[in-house]
Amino acid sequence: MRRIISFLVFLLVFWCSSAACGKVYIDINSPAFQKFPVAIPEFKNLGKTGAEEKLSVWFADQLSRTLKITGFFKIISKDAFLEDQNSSGITTGEIDFSDWSSIGSDFLIKGGFSYSGKKLAVEFRLFDTIEGKLITGKKYWGKPEEKKTMVLKFADEILMALTGRGGVFDTKLAFVGRKGNRSEIYTINFDGSDPLKITTYNSLTLLPRWSPNGSEISFTSYKTGNPDCYIKNLTRKKTRKISRFRGLNLLTSWSSDGKKVLLVLSKDGNEDIYIKHLRSGRLQRLTRNRSIDVSPMWSPDGRKIAFVSNRSGSPQIFVMDSEGKNVRRLTFEGSYNSSPCWSPDGTRIAYEGSSNGRFQIFSIGENGDNPVQLTFEAGGGESPSWSPDGRYLAFSSKRGGRRRVCVINSNGLNLRIMPGIKGIELFKSPSWSGHLNLY
Amino acid sequence: MRRNLITGVLVLVCSFSLIFVAGCAKEQTVKSDAELTQAQQSAEEAAALKEQALKEQALKEQLLAEAAAFQDIPFDFDNYDLKPESRELLEKLADWLLEHGDFEATIEGHCDNRGTAVYNLALGERRAGAAKAYLVNLGVTGAKITTISYGEELPEDPRDCEEAWAKNRRDHFIVFPKKQ
Repeated sequence: MRRIISFLVFLLVFWCSSAACGKVYIDINSPAFQKFPVAIPEFKNLGKTGAEEKLSVWFADQLSRTLKITGFFKIISKDAFLEDQNSSGITTGEIDFSDWSSIGSDFLIKGGFSYSGKKLAVEFRLFDTIEGKLITGKKYWGKPEEKKTMVLKFADEILMALTGRGGVFDTKLAFVGRKGNRSEIYTINFDGSDPLKITTYNSLTLLPRWSPNGSEISFTSYKTGNPDCYIKNLTRKKTRKISRFRGLNLLTSWSSDGKKVLLVLSKDGNEDIYIKHLRSGRLQRLTRNRSIDVSPMWSPDGRKIAFVSNRSGSPQIFVMDSEGKNVRRLTFEGSYNSSPCWSPDGTRIAYEGSSNGRFQIFSIGENGDNPVQLTFEAGGGESPSWSPDGRYLAFSSKRGGRRRVCVINSNGLNLRIMPGIKGIELFKSPSWSGHLNLY
Repeated sequence: MRRNLITGVLVLVCSFSLIFVAGCAKEQTVKSDAELTQAQQSAEEAAALKEQALKEQALKEQLLAEAAAFQDIPFDFDNYDLKPESRELLEKLADWLLEHGDFEATIEGHCDNRGTAVYNLALGERRAGAAKAYLVNLGVTGAKITTISYGEELPEDPRDCEEAWAKNRRDHFIVFPKKQ
């Protein structure tokens, strides 16, 4: 999926004084975390040609929107701005930082653009208004149509500078979109842009899962009658059938090297968990139980598998080792807990549980300690999927009478509903990709 | 004169064809009233055949109507135990399948949309399997019954309320003539 990047990135020129003397990052997962207040005035036209008013506004708006989506920034309203835009510039010497700190904006982003020939050059600078210092700056050259990519790249720089880790701007969500009695697999960018239809089988197609490198998506489809399992290569546009036993063929997890998958098969009468080695095709059975055993997912290090079983009466989450041994029950509260999803750092497992008759999203320590309810609204939540940086969870929830894909920060705040797609009545089963190196 | 000749030829041709048609008949001489009887008989036979076909068609339609009339059986939430009234219905279905050996059945297991899509696929599988096991216990050949789970994907009633959920937690039966 790596797109050939046709524009050049130049690390500048701007040096961050505080970076050189060891940075103190802000812990955005701390309960006490307050969103970074940031002001983003219109970008300056640094070139000689005029008539680019729109672009000035576009950059400021696009960057505001992008940062807002992360859930870590409070964008200061333009109405509060004190600075005289005509007399100020975009470098440290040309900015009166008290204009910004006095309106509560701890951070300021300034930028400017110019054309050289057909290339667009854009500078971005992030300032600390309290210290009156530049934190980081970048200049990008590219085709005018690559301007959004430039914004996303700088947004990533901002997160890196303030938190020590970049964002998930180069990730996508795959999900099921249903209309009537047919459903297909779709993908959409992290920010809700560019929805894409991945399957067109005019059948029931379910349960998308990204391969670790994002080049493939697996799913189960009834297109030939039986719920069989397929893998589609997104670059070569080729689909192969990988499991077609009579009964259920469900793929719910890929190993981190992409060589093995976890399947649920019901060919022997019970739903049991198997490892399938993709190259050799070898099947390795992990559970032999008369109960329902479904939804297996490997821990990020591959040493453990979380799964759902009703062996103790109702669906609960269990953990076993990767050979299927040492099974222990993880969830004890509530009569229905399912859809385990391991956090990328391996410390927590998100799941859905029934709470007062509704399903909501929870997470629990991988040892079973400290269960936390993350969603509370009437629309409920099902099928959680972590972002690759562990900062967000996607899930499905009923909004305005319809099931939609939603995203929250992993602390449960900053709910965002992904945009709908025309003609599709219901969205569910989101799966978050890894980093796709899109930019 | 010429008209008489044509009539004569026609009569001759007709007689020959009648002899040819009745070639297997024992009587060597063909009388005209016998011819009439024979024609009448074949008309009656055709009518009888037609009637037979109609009857068969009606019977087939009746069977298909009977086959299509087996109602869905309901289930409780997160449960695949057969209810007593479902057992009665399955007994009727078993009798019917045993009586009509040239019919087969597909059992679809369905769930309401609460809980996990994946878990519901398994639950639907169990619901279909429970009905199949019951039919097999009653003597129906297992090979005549296929099961498939649609989980929560094909609700009968798409609303989110107890009434709709109850309708959606079901086994649906498709009974059809054995494919030749």
